[in-house]
Amino acid sequence: MLDGIRRFAPTAIVAIALLALWFLLAQTVFAGRAYLVPGPIDVLSALGTDAPNTFAATLTTLKEAALGYLAAIVLGVFIAAVLSQSRLLERSVYPYAVLLQTVPIVAVAPLIVLWFGYDDLSVIIISLVISIFPIINNTLLGLRSTSRNLLELFAMHHSSRMVRLVKLLLPSALPQIMAGLRISAGLSVIGAIIGEFIIGSGNSHGGLGVQIIFAQGRMYTALLFGEIICATLLGFLFFSIVNGAGNLMLKNWHESAL
Amino acid sequence: MPVVTLDAPVVNAPPLPSGIGIALREASMRFPSGLQALDNIDAAVAPGEFVAIVGPSGCGKSTLLRIVAGLITPTGGTCARSGDGAAAFVFQEPALLPWRTVQKNAELLMELERYAPAERTARAAEALKLVGLAGFERAYPHSLSGGMRMRLSLARVIALKPRLLLLDEPLAAVDELTRDVLQEELSLMWQAAGFTALLVTHNVHEAVYLSSRVLVMSDRPGRIVEIVDVPFAFPRAAEIRSTPEFAHLTGEVSAILRGRARA
Repeated sequence: MLDGIRRFAPTAIVAIALLALWFLLAQTVFAGRAYLVPGPIDVLSALGTDAPNTFAATLTTLKEAALGYLAAIVLGVFIAAVLSQSRLLERSVYPYAVLLQTVPIVAVAPLIVLWFGYDDLSVIIISLVISIFPIINNTLLGLRSTSRNLLELFAMHHSSRMVRLVKLLLPSALPQIMAGLRISAGLSVIGAIIGEFIIGSGNSHGGLGVQIIFAQGRMYTALLFGEIICATLLGFLFFSIVNGAGNLMLKNWHESAL
Repeated sequence: MPVVTLDAPVVNAPPLPSGIGIALREASMRFPSGLQALDNIDAAVAPGEFVAIVGPSGCGKSTLLRIVAGLITPTGGTCARSGDGAAAFVFQEPALLPWRTVQKNAELLMELERYAPAERTARAAEALKLVGLAGFERAYPHSLSGGMRMRLSLARVIALKPRLLLLDEPLAAVDELTRDVLQEELSLMWQAAGFTALLVTHNVHEAVYLSSRVLVMSDRPGRIVEIVDVPFAFPRAAEIRSTPEFAHLTGEVSAILRGRARA
């Protein structure tokens, strides 16, 4: 109990201090200019008033980002696993994967919408594209860092590529895979919101991205703040789930989770 | 230059069946980088024999072991094995899978060789008992000491009941006390199981204590410059290491090594 307090007290104190600072700034510097920086209470009440709408939007974004993230995990690990099977393949394809990563995805997002339509599918794909590269990169790094001795051991005992991949390469890459997933957790939500910006107000059931644009148009800054907080919590939720799952899987053997 | 005999000598070991014999004929290894690691290696290891290879660092000892393991193919000459059965490799580091329990690590090689699960479990349990790790089945390698991890690495190969065991400086990383004990245990395991053992080491005492012959290699490119017979009978008591005869023999091997390293 006391340990728990000691452990979480510093974080809680910082949170309370920041909230107090925010409250004071809104009351003093931004007094009468709540359209720039509304106070915490304004934000809460705006969220309360708009609760059904914001909740629905958050769920929509959650669904899109989660699907994009899951697809990025499956596809990212798969692509890295395929690339790791051949030096030639990696050499011929990987540079383009890196090049693709330097393409500003925000610039490509309208094209994706043009191709896949003004609906959820485009948003999911944008979320996928934006969150997949850290997963590919980190997984590939992990697969490539497998101990040489263990590779020789598996070779000596006649393991097929598949056995080697499943019983050696992937488990030993798990710490790096989890690092990639942690980076991508927040990116998937960013991708979903960018996607929603672009499909815009086309549908009234839009997610947080759509609602944020609405709130901005109406100069409803308190709600805008509330929606930003909801989006942040989504990213945090993904991160926590992945982090927890990773710690559970690594807890018995990897330094990062011991 | 001393004369190097090509024929396998009479084995000074218990008469157990079905070890794998090894014959290296003019084996050479030149890496793509142009590095000549091995030059014209001629050597024969009889089934069931325990042979040690010593030589200066970088002389290609490990390369030689990897050729015998079939992990790499010599660029010249041949390496032939006689007899059937599994070959297993013990590395300088324990090379365990940290995400597997002790039990699952002990089963690994049998799993790769597609043994039936029941047999894997039974054999692994037996091997763990032999190396003194019974009771640690559910522990993870991380919670074991360095010596215990090496024991697990040995249990993993012992469980496979190999007919050829290749050891690449397996005890170089453990402390001296543990090393002595593990040497004694390794010797007993070899005598009990009757496999052929090829040990690469830079520790002359270890080579002499464990083997019936010591192959001494020259600096790069590695050649076999001398074969020293070790006359002590098996089983060898631990105390043999403090006899004058033992000291004399290790001194002799060391002298050959030093002479060659300087030449």
